[in-house]
Amino acid sequence: MSGALAGRRILIAGAAKGIGRATAERFVGEGARIAAFDRDEQALSALAAALPGNVTLPGDVADPAAVATAVQAAVSALGGLDGVVNAAGIDLLADIEAMTLADWQHVIAVNLTGPVLVMQAAYPYLKAAGGGTIVNVSSAAGLSPLARRTAYCASKAGLQMASKALAIEAAAFGIRVNAVCPGAVETDLFRSSIDAAADPQAAYEAVRARYALQRVAEPAEIAAAILWLTGDDSSYVTGTSIAVDGGRTFH
Amino acid sequence: MGEGRFAGKVAVVTGAANGIGAATVCRFLDEGARVAAIDREAEGLAALLAGRPPGGLLTMAGDCTDAAVLAAFHSQVIAAFGAVDILFNNVGQSGRERAAEFHESTEDVWRFVLEVSLLTTMRMTRLVAPAMRGRGGRIINMSSDAAFVGDARLADYAAAKMGIVGFTRAVARELAPHGVTVNAVAPGAVRTRAHDQLSPDVVARIRDATPAGFIAEPEDVAGCVAFLASDDARYITGQTLLIDGGRWMN
Repeated sequence: MSGALAGRRILIAGAAKGIGRATAERFVGEGARIAAFDRDEQALSALAAALPGNVTLPGDVADPAAVATAVQAAVSALGGLDGVVNAAGIDLLADIEAMTLADWQHVIAVNLTGPVLVMQAAYPYLKAAGGGTIVNVSSAAGLSPLARRTAYCASKAGLQMASKALAIEAAAFGIRVNAVCPGAVETDLFRSSIDAAADPQAAYEAVRARYALQRVAEPAEIAAAILWLTGDDSSYVTGTSIAVDGGRTFH
Repeated sequence: MGEGRFAGKVAVVTGAANGIGAATVCRFLDEGARVAAIDREAEGLAALLAGRPPGGLLTMAGDCTDAAVLAAFHSQVIAAFGAVDILFNNVGQSGRERAAEFHESTEDVWRFVLEVSLLTTMRMTRLVAPAMRGRGGRIINMSSDAAFVGDARLADYAAAKMGIVGFTRAVARELAPHGVTVNAVAPGAVRTRAHDQLSPDVVARIRDATPAGFIAEPEDVAGCVAFLASDDARYITGQTLLIDGGRWMN
């Protein structure tokens, strides 16, 4: 198989939908073999049907035992690991007074602790492969804050700093660690946030108006940046956060 | 012309005869673009032409800091290729042979550094932007991680390269509705002629401050420029992408 990722063995957490799904499709198209980890078993089955010959691993990234099991299963199925993409994530739109401790803890578990545990579990295998790549899907909201998203913004900013700190440590083993920071992307997650607004159409227009390019991204446009950070053309890029946000944060 | 990601595209590269500029010219040509290259050094430009089929690469020997030369170059490009799809504003120089602590620096050196590293980018962008507004395009500007780090003895260079960051953002905002993305790349240490002039202890110090533990090749930067010029980066604008092996992470 030819392509920018020919023969690479990649674990994608949160692979079943949205940005993760687009990344899975693009990576397979570029010659990678993937292990797709997601809690949505139905969407995972659909992915398996669309991308036959790859590995699907049902489980919740917020569950440390499930993460450990999934990484082990990915390593067994693929015969090792050359890269990781952390694409699992949830949103939370809530006033600070309405946010419960459980709300906060769940957002942190899915958006920050889960990805860190995935990196930690995968790390020895990336070392054993003689190097590799980790790409964490953070958010433009982790660069530039949004109202009523205290937990979400904190989790996404935290994921970027975790990436950078690990990038220093991992460089000695030829492992590059980077983050992408999407703005609004046309996904189920984005749709559910818009639909939860009192006036969804007005909410959508308000989001769109924030972007210099005046439109919401497609998942494939984020997958393209994840591909680049995983491939050899970004060989000297590590510890960076790339905003793929149509011109909002001007990072 | 050729096949590849940039088939049918016209790319312009300034400061193209050596190092990152030359590597990027080769990358664009290899991926199917027609390329226009300008540099003071005719010899380096001739080397780019060697072994290439005619027609795909237009070169002009000239000083990029001369506004009239840039305007003439732009006219030649339009006459030869019709339009510009990609502009890589690469030309720049730290004036490192004349680097000094700021309290001992002189205005003629500041003016030279700002001229070659910032004003050339502004002038070339001013030349291509009107037509790009009508047909879309990509502009990639050359910053440096020295702008972020603030390396001692290079205050003028840091100012020019941080100027590139602000210029990139403002023009990105203006051109975004017209299908033009504007981004910057900010390399760290790259194995170029300027780098080869550094003393071994300076090189060792830079390498020690770089988590990746090695000095980049020009091709490492060309790969980033090619990405920002490609369709894969169509939703990225106003950004400054660090290519420095992790030297600056803030």
